[in-house]
Amino acid sequence: MGKFKYFIPLLVILGFLGLSSIFVVDEREKALVLQFGQIKAVKEEPGLAFKIPLIQEVVRYDDRILSLDTDTIEVTPSDDRRLIVDAFARYRIRDVVQFRQAVGVGGLPVAEDRLGSVLNAQIREVLGADQVTSDSILSPERGDLARRIRAQSRTSAEGLGLEIVDVRLKQTNLPEQNLEATFARMRAERDREAADEVARGNEAAQRVRALADRTVTETLSDAEREAQVIRGEADAERNAIYAGAYGTDPEFFAFYRSLEAYEESLQGGNSSMVMTPDSEFFDYLRSSTTGQ
Amino acid sequence: MAGNSGGPWGGGGHDGGEGRDDRNDRPDDQRGQRPNGGRGGNDPQIPEIDELVKKGQEQLRVLMGGRGGGRGDGGGGGAGGDGPGLSRGTIGLGLLVVFGLWLFQSFYTVKPEEQSVELFLGEFYQVGNPGLNFAPWPIITAQTVNVTSERTEDIGQRQGRGNEGLMLTTDANIVDINFQVVWNIADPSRLLFNIRDPQLTVQAVSESIMREIIARSTLAPILNRDRGIIADTAMQNIQETLDDYESGIRIVRVNLDKADPPEEVIDSFREVQAAEQERDRLQRQADAYANRVLAEARGEAAQTLEQSEGYRARVVNEARGDASRFTSVLTEYSKAPEVTRKRLYLETMQRVMGEIDKTILDNSVVGAEGSGGIVPYLPLNELRRNSTTGQGN
Repeated sequence: MGKFKYFIPLLVILGFLGLSSIFVVDEREKALVLQFGQIKAVKEEPGLAFKIPLIQEVVRYDDRILSLDTDTIEVTPSDDRRLIVDAFARYRIRDVVQFRQAVGVGGLPVAEDRLGSVLNAQIREVLGADQVTSDSILSPERGDLARRIRAQSRTSAEGLGLEIVDVRLKQTNLPEQNLEATFARMRAERDREAADEVARGNEAAQRVRALADRTVTETLSDAEREAQVIRGEADAERNAIYAGAYGTDPEFFAFYRSLEAYEESLQGGNSSMVMTPDSEFFDYLRSSTTGQ
Repeated sequence: MAGNSGGPWGGGGHDGGEGRDDRNDRPDDQRGQRPNGGRGGNDPQIPEIDELVKKGQEQLRVLMGGRGGGRGDGGGGGAGGDGPGLSRGTIGLGLLVVFGLWLFQSFYTVKPEEQSVELFLGEFYQVGNPGLNFAPWPIITAQTVNVTSERTEDIGQRQGRGNEGLMLTTDANIVDINFQVVWNIADPSRLLFNIRDPQLTVQAVSESIMREIIARSTLAPILNRDRGIIADTAMQNIQETLDDYESGIRIVRVNLDKADPPEEVIDSFREVQAAEQERDRLQRQADAYANRVLAEARGEAAQTLEQSEGYRARVVNEARGDASRFTSVLTEYSKAPEVTRKRLYLETMQRVMGEIDKTILDNSVVGAEGSGGIVPYLPLNELRRNSTTGQGN
């Protein structure tokens, strides 16, 4: 009975010690075994692992890709146009021992802080380099610039036990005060375009009108010419007809046509005649016999 | 499931638990599914549990009954003499409850839209498919991930002061972009093991890539004809980048919601559109004018031509008529020239003389030729007036 009295607490204690001497490393992590702050073992592969209970403790670090957004900074490329830039980095903890030594117990927040300043410095350096203009930042070269930032940050990152997977520029914008100027320029460009549109519209309209007017004149004069030709032909035909008819007896034609002309031209309202009665018409007015 | 995964991490340090937030909602799901959760090959397991529970209840009854009688010999039959009432039955019941809890912990369901990732002592073991799954705790832990349902990230929403959607083009113009990235999970194990914040990663990568695409394009094509191309390129590049991270994320599609000039200048862009319409209007007006004038001219030309044709017809007809009249008269005249000639003359003179005012002066009055005579002094106008007034009266 006495034995049994201590059996259960002993069992509990043994169980506790047993459990605290095993630990599981997850697929997502890497672990350090620390003994009074000293690194005793590194466990990078997932699975079961052992430690000395009570004396040693396990520190786990994330083995996945971590993300970091840098603060927005203003850079001045070589053409003196200021740009607001931020970037993001994807990184992972490559060497837990180095990482621990570099950042101490602060862990990831400290690492992010340091990596952030490293990246900012490199962004400034790369984007501020001599041959880099704001045009090249705003061009397909952008990817190369990001790769250069990544390459140049690598050494510093390795010092932190970190591996930089990727660096990408996110925002590359104009500062607030330049923004207004850019908007103004865009507006001016649009206004010019609008004015140009209207002017071109007027030009085209005028062209169309002028062409129409010309065509009108051409059409009308054409018709006039043709009409005159027709009239001429008509007159010619009339002359031919008259000549054909009157030519058979010109003397009679003269007589006949004269009579017609007298009748037409000497009319009551518009003519008065002063004459001596010795015309042929009055032959019999003077005497009953003609001749004398 | 939180309890389930709590095993490996429970004794651990500070850094292990980042992923736990994602899994918090799972126990509810599991319990919700449990009553009707029998699916697939694991079906027979459920009745077993029920049987066990029933057995447990029976034993409880026995225990209650047996307790009164068995108090005498105390814990003699039990394993420990420590606590009061620790009989064999109590321990059996305790073990049973523990076993039940263990079973409860070890079974979990995976819904049709999910997959689970099982870890054997923290090491990747297998992917669990929809249905009831067994992961003996604490050796194997499992985590379910919703793989098919689509997640949407909205990028470029411009709220208040934010310039988030404003992107700079290569010709230094600014365009306001707003787009959505829809994604799901292609490979849950990769997602879990390689990426800490999938959502943030998708957002950051998408924004970066969209800005990169915009930064190498000029403004005009972004606003209209390149929209589809931009969305396609973005989708492709985002997917490539995420594949580089071995993220297990699949981009389903990229919707380019908005690609407009910023609000500050959009009025000017509208004015350009208005001007384009104005240009169109001017051209159409001119066309209308041209059409009208040309039609009028054609009409007028036709009229002129027809008039001249009419003139031709009239003139020719007149000539023919005159000619044939003359010919007829001539025919008659040639039969009796003297008489006809006289008759025609007289008839005509009769008509002429009948009409006009006449003043007949005798030769003697007129005087000899060249001597002046009376004619110059005749008040011709007077004579004429008389005749007209006379007619008027």
